[in-house]
Amino acid sequence: MNLKSLLLAGGALLSGTAASAGGYQVTLAGQKNNGMGGVGVGLSLDQAAMFYNPGALAMVKDRGVQVGVNLTLARNAFVAEGSNQQRELRNSYTTPLNFYAGFGPAEGKFRAGIAVYTPFGSKLQYANGWEGRTSLTDIDLKSVFVQPTVSYAITDQLSVGAGLVVLAYGAVNLQRDIALPDSYGHVELDGKADTKFGFNAGIFFKPSDKLSLGINYRSKIDAVVKDGDVTFSGIPASFSSRFQATKFNATLPLIATTSVGLGIMPNEKLTIGFDASLAQWSKYRVLRFDFDQQVNGSTVSESKRAYQDALTFRLGGQYKLTEGLTVRAGGAYDQTPVQDGFVTPETPDNDRISGTVGASYSFGKFGVDLSAQYVGIQKRTQTQNELINNATTDRIAGTYKTNIVIPGIGLNYAF
Amino acid sequence: MNTFLFRKFTPLAALLGLGITACQPDLEDDFKPNKGSADFSRYIAVGNSLTAGFSDGGLYLEGQVNSYPNILATQFRTAGGGEFNQPLFTEAQRNGSGYLSLTGFTSAGTPTTANVTTNLAVRSLNPTLYTRYEGRVDNLGVPGIRLSDIHTAGYGSTQGNAYFERITPATTATQTYFQRVKAEAATATFFSNWLGNNDILGYATTGGVGGIITRTDTFTLKNNRIVNVLTTNGAKGIVATIPDVTNIPFFTTVRVADIRARFKAANPALDVYIQTTGTAGAQVVRLATDADLLTLPSSAVIGTATTGSPFPVGAGVGTGVGQSNPVPNQFVLDATEQTNVRTATTAFNTAITNKANEKGLAIFDSNAFFARVATSGITTNGVTNTASFISGNLFSLDGVHPTPRGYAVIANEMIRAINSKYNASVPTVNPNDYRGVRFPQ
Repeated sequence: MNLKSLLLAGGALLSGTAASAGGYQVTLAGQKNNGMGGVGVGLSLDQAAMFYNPGALAMVKDRGVQVGVNLTLARNAFVAEGSNQQRELRNSYTTPLNFYAGFGPAEGKFRAGIAVYTPFGSKLQYANGWEGRTSLTDIDLKSVFVQPTVSYAITDQLSVGAGLVVLAYGAVNLQRDIALPDSYGHVELDGKADTKFGFNAGIFFKPSDKLSLGINYRSKIDAVVKDGDVTFSGIPASFSSRFQATKFNATLPLIATTSVGLGIMPNEKLTIGFDASLAQWSKYRVLRFDFDQQVNGSTVSESKRAYQDALTFRLGGQYKLTEGLTVRAGGAYDQTPVQDGFVTPETPDNDRISGTVGASYSFGKFGVDLSAQYVGIQKRTQTQNELINNATTDRIAGTYKTNIVIPGIGLNYAF
Repeated sequence: MNTFLFRKFTPLAALLGLGITACQPDLEDDFKPNKGSADFSRYIAVGNSLTAGFSDGGLYLEGQVNSYPNILATQFRTAGGGEFNQPLFTEAQRNGSGYLSLTGFTSAGTPTTANVTTNLAVRSLNPTLYTRYEGRVDNLGVPGIRLSDIHTAGYGSTQGNAYFERITPATTATQTYFQRVKAEAATATFFSNWLGNNDILGYATTGGVGGIITRTDTFTLKNNRIVNVLTTNGAKGIVATIPDVTNIPFFTTVRVADIRARFKAANPALDVYIQTTGTAGAQVVRLATDADLLTLPSSAVIGTATTGSPFPVGAGVGTGVGQSNPVPNQFVLDATEQTNVRTATTAFNTAITNKANEKGLAIFDSNAFFARVATSGITTNGVTNTASFISGNLFSLDGVHPTPRGYAVIANEMIRAINSKYNASVPTVNPNDYRGVRFPQ
């Protein structure tokens, strides 16, 4: 597979399934990191440092270009409360992409670069006629961030960096069925997000050859959809006067994340990383849609989310087996931001446990990175009583279980 | 990729393939149906119109298919349940007794209905008789039957109840309902029993004018007898209490406050007047209060002109002779009559509950359930349902009997009670797969 065909494949769908980090956040930004449980804040592995910790970019030895693509294969099972019938997704996949190019003088203290990655996304297509059809039948969230980055090594041990994060592309497509007294209609909400800006900044400290530390902050960006399209279908004439909206506005918070990371290099061959992140999901209180005309008696639809801030812990390492071959392994524990009684079909979430493996082979300046992740989203049951107690009966009671497998491949070229 | 790389990464790729196959989670083993200590191999249903699947003021094929006993039997089949035969009307006679269909709404938003008169199963008009059903019957729901009727000889004859007549074998034409239940109970392993609604309903729906409330001692005695005969052979089962009918759309749709507002909009001097039963049975006229319940059929009468009266029906300026055109008594359930209804409901439910507990049976407390629905509705898998007429999804066009959605919700509540009592895991249904009120196409 050459670079060109890889780009073509990746360009087909710039999106990601919620692979890691809870909610609809995706952390598949670097192929080496992907093989190591997603660690990276306290390391300076490669150009993907622009995402994990821009402060570490100045400490990355090589300048170069790298591209990575992942294939997310999510498999879900759902059984409604009281039922014995298992529902499975109409299986789909997404291919989150990442691209980095880093430049700078060979021996200088400056590094600059550009990063393209997809930190948020989700795609789920539920079974036809499933019990939660009036909450959701299909969701496809996509986001592409572009991040010009600079990094500067203040001393040999300390470097800082920052990037301007541009929400260059954001798209939302939500579909659900509408319950009518004697039939179902369908509504599709489809919109593009406005271009928005945020930042990604970090500090990297490497007191010795054996130890490095990092801290990183990625700011919140509100994905604002204005004048998205509302399309109704299957609404009989007797009800059509109640479903007149054609446009909608909505805002989805792409939340801030603060991370600290630790790198330990006991010898030249072995690198171990540990990251802890706090995702500020508590900003996600409600999902609100404003319509230009009424939808079943109201121009507003509000659905409670009440997410909570969530922690993620990652541990991973790599070992350089031969001059060319490096192998990796890691794992992560990822707390869910979703409280009991608030689970929705768009993110059938729970705590996640993932295991990863990876390997790289380098042929001088050119290298290939492979990674594979297995994410187990723990079984989650919410009862109708929990929904009633939280006034969240717009969603469905039952048990969800989701597993995700994500193979990925990356190519890199060092100048 | 060269062969060297391929060789190096083959184990990884194999691992990956394994991962993808093992990826689909499976929850089915967590939710395996189980009959617990119950035995569903032969289930019979005893009851009235609610058990028969009566809806929209009639008994017709779609209602029968969506009866709660049929839903229960279908779910029981996942846990060892057997065949369940209902006295279904044929496809050619699918409209059975005929029923109400919604034709639209007036400009004021009042629904308009029409009687379906085609494809009926009527074999005689005077007396009204329906096409007979020969063959095994597991759903013994007989529309109109009161608990007080169960020992009445000839109830299944051509002079009796037409719905019972059509399932009563010609060889035992004078068989009582009790005798029929006894015969079927001999081989039943599980039963549902929901009788008694009509022992109050006739009184309530005629505003306390027609129909009488069964005496509590009679009710208790007959309830005990039928539960005894159902459990003689050790069958397990479920009984249901009687809902307080003042919560149903038949009594909650037409409101005094709305009528008053309508009259006052036309002429501020007008108010709502009703005819009611005073002390010693005297008919009195008085100003209506918000506590008076008006029946669903009153909406066709209130506001219409009457020859010889300057006031439309329901309107007036005072209680004196000629000062009003009161709503006739049979459309009004006043406070005293409501108390009579509630007192009887409580007494009957005590009898039902005591007997069920004595026999260790599951109980579906439909009174508590429908009271809860009247207060806060019930959300089924994200869909809101209420006790409102037409828009609420649960009650059919007669304002008394459930829609298929309503019956599905009832079946689910019964399944929960059965599961809890017999430590069983019978799956519930998705009520949203069953329709509410059918709208004109």
